[in-house]
Amino acid sequence: MGVLANKGEKVKVRVRVNGVWYERYVSPRMLLVDFLRDELGLTGTKVGCDTTTCGACTVIMNGRSVKSCTVLAVQANGADILTIEGLAQDSKLHPIQQAFMDNFALQCGYCTPGMIMQTYFLLKENPNPTEEEIRDGLHGNICRCTGYQNIINAVKDAAGRMRS
Amino acid sequence: MTYIGQSVKRLYDEKFVTGKSTYVDDISIPALYTAFVRSPYAHARIKKIDVTDALKVPGVVAVFTAKDINPMLRGGVRPWTTYLNLQSFRYVERKAFPEDKVRYVGEPVAMVLAVDKYSARDGVDKVTVDYEPLQPVLTMDEALKNQVIIHEELKTNIAYDIPLKAGDVDKAFKEADKVIPVEAINERLIPNPMEPRGIVARYEGGNLTVWYSTQVPHYMRSEFARIFGLHESKIRVIMPDVGGAFGSKVNLLAEELAVIGASIRLGRPVRWTATRSEEMLASNARHNEFRGEVAVKNDGKILGIRGKLVLDFGAYVTITGGVQSAIIPMMITGPYDIRNAEVESIAVYTNTPPITMYRGASRPEATFIIERIVSTVADELGLDDVTIRERNLATQLPYTNPFGIRYDSGDYVGLLKKAVEKLGYYDLKKWAEEERKKGHIVGVGMAYYVEIASFGPWEYAEIRVDENGDVLVLTGTTPHGQGSDTGLAQIVADALQIDISKVRVVWGDTDQVPMSMGTYGSRSITIGGSAALIAANKVLEDMKKVAAQIWNADVQEVQYSNGVFTHRADPNKKLTWDEVARAAYSKHEPGIKESAIYESDVTSPYGVHVAVVEIDENSGIARVLEYRAYDDIGQVINPALAEGQIHGGAMQAVGQALYEQAVITESGALGVTYADYFIPTMVEAPKYVSVFADTPHFSPYPTKSKGVGEAALIVGPAVIVRAVEDAVKARFNRTPIKPEEILNALKLKK
Ligand code: FES
Ligand code: FES
Repeated sequence: MGVLANKGEKVKVRVRVNGVWYERYVSPRMLLVDFLRDELGLTGTKVGCDTTTCGACTVIMNGRSVKSCTVLAVQANGADILTIEGLAQDSKLHPIQQAFMDNFALQCGYCTPGMIMQTYFLLKENPNPTEEEIRDGLHGNICRCTGYQNIINAVKDAAGRMRS
Repeated sequence: MTYIGQSVKRLYDEKFVTGKSTYVDDISIPALYTAFVRSPYAHARIKKIDVTDALKVPGVVAVFTAKDINPMLRGGVRPWTTYLNLQSFRYVERKAFPEDKVRYVGEPVAMVLAVDKYSARDGVDKVTVDYEPLQPVLTMDEALKNQVIIHEELKTNIAYDIPLKAGDVDKAFKEADKVIPVEAINERLIPNPMEPRGIVARYEGGNLTVWYSTQVPHYMRSEFARIFGLHESKIRVIMPDVGGAFGSKVNLLAEELAVIGASIRLGRPVRWTATRSEEMLASNARHNEFRGEVAVKNDGKILGIRGKLVLDFGAYVTITGGVQSAIIPMMITGPYDIRNAEVESIAVYTNTPPITMYRGASRPEATFIIERIVSTVADELGLDDVTIRERNLATQLPYTNPFGIRYDSGDYVGLLKKAVEKLGYYDLKKWAEEERKKGHIVGVGMAYYVEIASFGPWEYAEIRVDENGDVLVLTGTTPHGQGSDTGLAQIVADALQIDISKVRVVWGDTDQVPMSMGTYGSRSITIGGSAALIAANKVLEDMKKVAAQIWNADVQEVQYSNGVFTHRADPNKKLTWDEVARAAYSKHEPGIKESAIYESDVTSPYGVHVAVVEIDENSGIARVLEYRAYDDIGQVINPALAEGQIHGGAMQAVGQALYEQAVITESGALGVTYADYFIPTMVEAPKYVSVFADTPHFSPYPTKSKGVGEAALIVGPAVIVRAVEDAVKARFNRTPIKPEEILNALKLKK
């Protein structure tokens, strides 16, 4: 990318988020998650840790899931990003969203956007995952409330809905 | 139309799955951002704080220290007056910043206020603090020695020291066939809700508005009023979506006092959202040690228990830290008919982050102690876990334990037998035995619990029927993930016999809900639901009166069923719920609105849980494969939500039993990342089976429910530790059981 900036100088970042192009001038050290939340007002993506461990900030960037707390906004320059806000189409919930609701896969809801985005990526890569593959694919997303079983059920359910 | 007992889908999920949830950090308001300068020392005198350079940082608006904020405060953080007797504790009310010395690593000493959070962080780097390091007191043993005093004003590190005695303990020990030493230790935990706490404070025109990630908005309103010398009527506390709490958000932080103070001082909105590291400093939990002995007869009958419980408070008293020291001893006899017990409960200050309550608050600790006692006795006498419990369980319910706690209803022995059968305990035991013969290190453990839930003293509910017949429920409880809002809607929809889609539940705003206690202690459905049920019944009476008026009839002549009012004598007269609601608003009547307070004391859920563990013989790492629960929680309002509570609590129990430990280094620094503190992930999650008693014993509450929010974390650690003992055939009295302990035990056996 090679964006260089002097101290205190802002740099231009152009990204396509949920189908819309945005252009902002930001500090080169700004994290993508802060860019999404504070600059674009897309607060659906959450922050749960300082160490890239919890997955609350997961978004899809150029087709791959990333922890947006560990990507600089400038690194996302030119990228295509999908966040939790972009998943439902014309106010019709995505099957993953529906499956989370139907399977009691959330309690406080804080991990939910990240869980759903990581599930989206997992099912794109592997439309019919085994339980072990689900556990492995989502182990970078921490949930402190549900004990995970209902999330696993939701992922299986969503996979079924998306295949049919 | 019956909703009670059905797994009704959660009513408010859509915003969470679409990213439209609003936690405190999601609130958009032009506010200054806060970052805190924190102490690198566990114990040090503050010589000088220089903020000059910080003020030069672009974007920094102000830097405040104790001298700026503390004089605004008329008091500070103190124990929870709803449940604790202030006289029982030695403490100093904690202000926004320490004036003389710092008392734990990470204690805030100054705040930087800036236009964005990056500038605020930059400002922090430019604040220089001169410290004179002092000898830190990092362990409870050190604290007890009182050589170095943490709060000089108190002249001692002992915050609480109250012995509790019941029955004739000396006689029990004299009559014993055997006296068995016992030990039960819980290391320090960190509750770690996924949403770190946060606050936005706005002060304008003498009115203070606080958006706050809390479980207890009204209690906080009164604390803010007391501490800042404001009238409660001028304060509004709003609880937005709260991303988990587990008891740790009944907690007023020094940082939060600083944020409110700064907003008042500057006359501008000020916000602070904790980072994960700050969240981990904000609330630590558990950390207690019980050592004692138990008097038993050879047949397994337990005659008496005596011992000493030492608890860590950390550096300062918190609202809830004292709950453990006061309640653990009172519950130490568990569900068993043990009449002689003596416990000295001592809580000490140490130079470590403050302790708060955490899911179960005192009942997990007490249950761990008594279940370790009972299982240890079983091993020493060569009895099995079921027999020893059968011989000691209380048989006459209601039962008042030796310290006066009353267990309201149940069949303890009956449930034990049922649970063992329904959970397939003996089959699992047999399976484990076979597996062990094949060289697999697996084990099966069980434990029993009785707890106290729902905690009074009261809860509030209000129900309004609007002119379209839709129903608004204002609850004093404050759901933050439990889904109890849906449970309340089920209760109200059933009482009013209307479709649940007509019911909306709101909570957490002190301007909307006139009074409340909040959500904690598995109380929402039971005491909050009972208040809502009473209010709903009153509303139905009002509706009947309106129908009677329309018909010029006596209210006794009005019947109601499934949304339709009919006239007893004249079956042609019919009015729908919606028509009556509209009529209630005609003629300039103010419509229908009723409120209720339900006052009550605790109720007592109980049950048996079973766990299956597997141990990797090379690493010593234990994994819980299965977790099975059989609980009598009275009337189950929503089985899926109740099961969710079991799952989540059990996962935290797995964490406590095997993985989670707050690490404090030799210099007193708490490990504040998820690399230091291991929260179970999906890989560590067991398979859960949650069964509720088929013949439940109801509570005396109108809802007949008992509460389920904490059960699995109350009993789970004892269950899992017992399973590890079964696998390794060695004794473990401390949570978490670390892989190296397991490896050592395995080596010793070879
Ligand atoms: S906030 Fe990004 S991984 Fe935790
Ligand atoms: S639902 Fe609360 S953290 Fe997952």
